[in-house]
Amino acid sequence: MIEKNKSYGNILVNGILNENPIFRLALSMCPAVGISTNVMNGVLMGIAVLFVQFCSSLTISLVKNYIHPRIRIPTYTLTIATWVTVTDLVLAAFFPVAYKSLGIFVRLIVVFCFITMRLDVFARKNPVFPSLVDAVGMGFGFMLGMMAIGGVREIMGMGTLMGYDILGFRPLLFFVLPCSGFFVVGFMMAIFNYTENVYNRRKRARRLA
Amino acid sequence: MKEIVKITIGLTLTCLIAAGIMGGVFIITAKAKKHNEYLNFKENMLTLLGYNQTNPAPDSLQLCTVYRYLIYQGDKTALGYVLPVKAKDTHDIRYQFIRVNIQGQFIDQFDLNIDTAQSNDSNDREKAIASVLPKDVNQLIFADRFIVATNDNKRLAYLLPGKTPGFKTHINFMLALDSKYAIVGLQVLEHQEDPGLGAEIEQEYFKNQFTGKDSERLKTLKVIKEPIPDEQLKFLEKAKWANNAYSKNDIQTLQKKYQDKDICAITGATISSVAVLNGVKNVVTKFVYRVKILENIIAKQNISVAF
Repeated sequence: MIEKNKSYGNILVNGILNENPIFRLALSMCPAVGISTNVMNGVLMGIAVLFVQFCSSLTISLVKNYIHPRIRIPTYTLTIATWVTVTDLVLAAFFPVAYKSLGIFVRLIVVFCFITMRLDVFARKNPVFPSLVDAVGMGFGFMLGMMAIGGVREIMGMGTLMGYDILGFRPLLFFVLPCSGFFVVGFMMAIFNYTENVYNRRKRARRLA
Repeated sequence: MKEIVKITIGLTLTCLIAAGIMGGVFIITAKAKKHNEYLNFKENMLTLLGYNQTNPAPDSLQLCTVYRYLIYQGDKTALGYVLPVKAKDTHDIRYQFIRVNIQGQFIDQFDLNIDTAQSNDSNDREKAIASVLPKDVNQLIFADRFIVATNDNKRLAYLLPGKTPGFKTHINFMLALDSKYAIVGLQVLEHQEDPGLGAEIEQEYFKNQFTGKDSERLKTLKVIKEPIPDEQLKFLEKAKWANNAYSKNDIQTLQKKYQDKDICAITGATISSVAVLNGVKNVVTKFVYRVKILENIIAKQNISVAF
């Protein structure tokens, strides 16, 4: 358990930077490519993921001692599916306004591999509170990633940001199409890696000096 | 062997717990969910009729739904309509079920013992119909429905929900026709077209192009690949109108000018545009054909319908 000597702040930032689900772990690329056509989608999807990740991490870290190690993955899937269904039903029944914009995103979450991964890597081995912090960090990391991709695609594809007209024209309609998601994610990953390289090089140089 | 039993029991238990939780939540939320769906549908209908928050619908507005069913009896097929009718002594609305054969000839009619809330629920409605139909009917299948909006006993519009295969999945839409079967408005309810391309079918500049087209014009209406002229574009985007941008006369002349024009395709989404047009054509032609037969029967049989 490497995470034991880390502070809560470290765990939180870990999800956003070091282990960003989209740019560093390259997990759940399907929604990142398919849905991130504008910033608003990213925010809504992020909220939905944050909620489900939070609830699933809580459940798994509470019952971790009773899960048979051989069937842990089906158990995670079931947990996530249960929470997604519950969220979907409750939203549809009692928050119709939120459901209108969130509905389709909530149902997609069942197939998100990084939630399962987080349950297996973190929630299964750690107490309840660090698991929750990790869930929040991961959720925000995903939300910010989706917003970044969505922002680029929205500006480049439709000339708007958050629905407001900024450029007044459409630079490249291509960015709205699903295939452009791969390009944007790829470039952003490259930027992430480059920044990390530069950061590490400077750190090493400082240590040597 | 012991391990296998342990795993099986563990997994079964987990599944049962999960199923229990989901089932419980479903039971708690089912009613509210249905109600919300109905409210959402109603809101769309009111939008199509031109009512909104600043211009609320009057209390005298009545929305009567007519349901159409297919009835299979032996090797014969017949059509069934659930009609809202006026009760003789009170102002209440009762429901009747009439059977019509494929040629459009009236067969028989039954009283349905349901109230308005029950008539909105498909299970209650079908139970009531099944209880009055003869026993040898093999199958009763819901086909479609249309809604007649009346205000002070005058028919305002027919509202027709429709569905058409789009570029990706089905596009659900609703049409409003006036009493002469010309389109008053189009509302796209649900779709999954590409944002920025096919999703533009939701935009006013596309939807409002259908306004004013009657059933005759619809037969030859097609999608053309031409940009919309600036003047028309400004006219189509009703939400962006300034308060006094158009006088009543202006609206009429502009409406007349573009009345018979074909539909301009959305840039980069010709397939979605054509899909919507085909859906609209399909729904209107079938509706006009059926409603004429139905009107005929209602007049001949002297049914005092509520619309």
